Amino acid sequence: MNEVLAHLHDVSIGYDTPLIEGINVEISEGDVIAILGPSGIGKTTLLRTISGLIRPLSGEIELAIPSRGGLGYIPQRLGLVGNLSVRANVSMGARVRTSRWWPAVFPLPKEFEEDISKAMRHLGIEDIADQPVRILSGGQQRRVATARTVAQKPKLVLADEFLGELDDDNVEVVMRTVHATIRAQNSALIMVEHHEKLAKEVANRIWRIKDGKLIEEVVS
Amino acid sequence: MGIVTAISLLALYIFNDMVGDWGRLSGGWENLVIFFNESLWPPDWSILEAQSYPVCEQEVELFCSVAWLGMVETIKIAFVATALGFVFALPLSVLAANNLSPLWMAIPARVILAAMRSLPSIIWAVLFMIIFDVGTLAGIFAMTFYTVGYLGKLQFESMEGLKNAPLEAAKAMGMTRAETAWHIALPESANHLLSHLMFMFEYNVRHGTVIGLVGAGGIGLYINTYLKLTQYDKVVALLLVVFIVVVLIDFLSMAIRSTVTEEGDVRRPSWSTIFLPASISSKYHTTPMKTSSSKEDE
Repeated sequence: MNEVLAHLHDVSIGYDTPLIEGINVEISEGDVIAILGPSGIGKTTLLRTISGLIRPLSGEIELAIPSRGGLGYIPQRLGLVGNLSVRANVSMGARVRTSRWWPAVFPLPKEFEEDISKAMRHLGIEDIADQPVRILSGGQQRRVATARTVAQKPKLVLADEFLGELDDDNVEVVMRTVHATIRAQNSALIMVEHHEKLAKEVANRIWRIKDGKLIEEVVS
Repeated sequence: MGIVTAISLLALYIFNDMVGDWGRLSGGWENLVIFFNESLWPPDWSILEAQSYPVCEQEVELFCSVAWLGMVETIKIAFVATALGFVFALPLSVLAANNLSPLWMAIPARVILAAMRSLPSIIWAVLFMIIFDVGTLAGIFAMTFYTVGYLGKLQFESMEGLKNAPLEAAKAMGMTRAETAWHIALPESANHLLSHLMFMFEYNVRHGTVIGLVGAGGIGLYINTYLKLTQYDKVVALLLVVFIVVVLIDFLSMAIRSTVTEEGDVRRPSWSTIFLPASISSKYHTTPMKTSSSKEDE
């Protein structure tokens, strides 16, 4: 039986005015959800609201995941630290698996090193582990952001167009790794995606945003 | 454009009002030329020769000169003050940055930083001379206090200018404030922090001439002595030494910052980039190539 990880009760989202209203959805373990809709309709705002970065205008969001490390977030601009190496960026994912009292200046405990190396290996970035992220291409940076989330092992992953700028081969590598992580952790993924064909290939649920409403579509 | 013109005109109007009688400026330029020719130029480079007392035991005479001894002491004071100031300014600037700390932490931290920089280092030097007596220690404390206030402000403003995405990712992941500051804010603003640090070091070296005037050690002490003796040609020579050291620090700053910026952004300095305009220096030094890994996926 898959547990419910998040529950949105009659949620309205937006900044000053509502972008999407009356959202009533559940997210369970094993879900891979793709959010589709035109630009500026509120897809990113929905992810940011679920992540807790902004508050819903009304309604309630219940998250049944740990507040530290339970949620993995890959923003549209990836949120990497350009001056740090690939390894240091990926390590940040593992760092939130430590106790919140683990001193920030201390190196990570040894048992996390294998997870970090494995995440980099799966995403094909092990050979550039010591390079600063700022000199990498857009596609390589997307793989680093994904590896950071894989090393984090979160229960719920929110990814905003994280497959953009990747060629077909890399999309397959990234999605295979993310799927494997979700299966291993029995977690869930919500991804904003512009390419409908790709979304339907990788997701088992589709949320379409239309006329300020979230409509769940059946994936054939 | 209209606002700039209006502010410029207002400034000119106030300036004119403050000067009052322009007639009293007549003959000023001639006076300066006379002063320059009779007292300032040529500089008296005897400041590079060994002092007559104490007896010089160094193989190189320069190491016993007023310029060397004063400059080395000034650089030592500036280095210690900048390093200590940086260590204290860093946590305060993290607390003061409103994208890293809540308002109840940021406001007291900003008040502390404002209090520390509202007194110029020369006033701090006078206060510390009362505690520690005339000398180097008062100079170090004065510069350290001012450095904390000044550097702290520059740093928290840099941190507030950071891109949102890494901070938001960290917040969503559940990173603590300390982790966000240490692993994201500091490395992400490293270029600015290093730039400010080097600027502060250079500022403190330059300011060594000022706080030395009140007896806080360094080259300023010698400048003060020569000013009292009206040996202005020696003062000019010492100021030229300070100028050369400042240029060298600028050179060092570029070299250090080039390690944390994109290649081609801040270039490693060379003789041509320091002394020639960019259009000419590019003929002598080309931008280094990007690494092969950055070509992938492009």
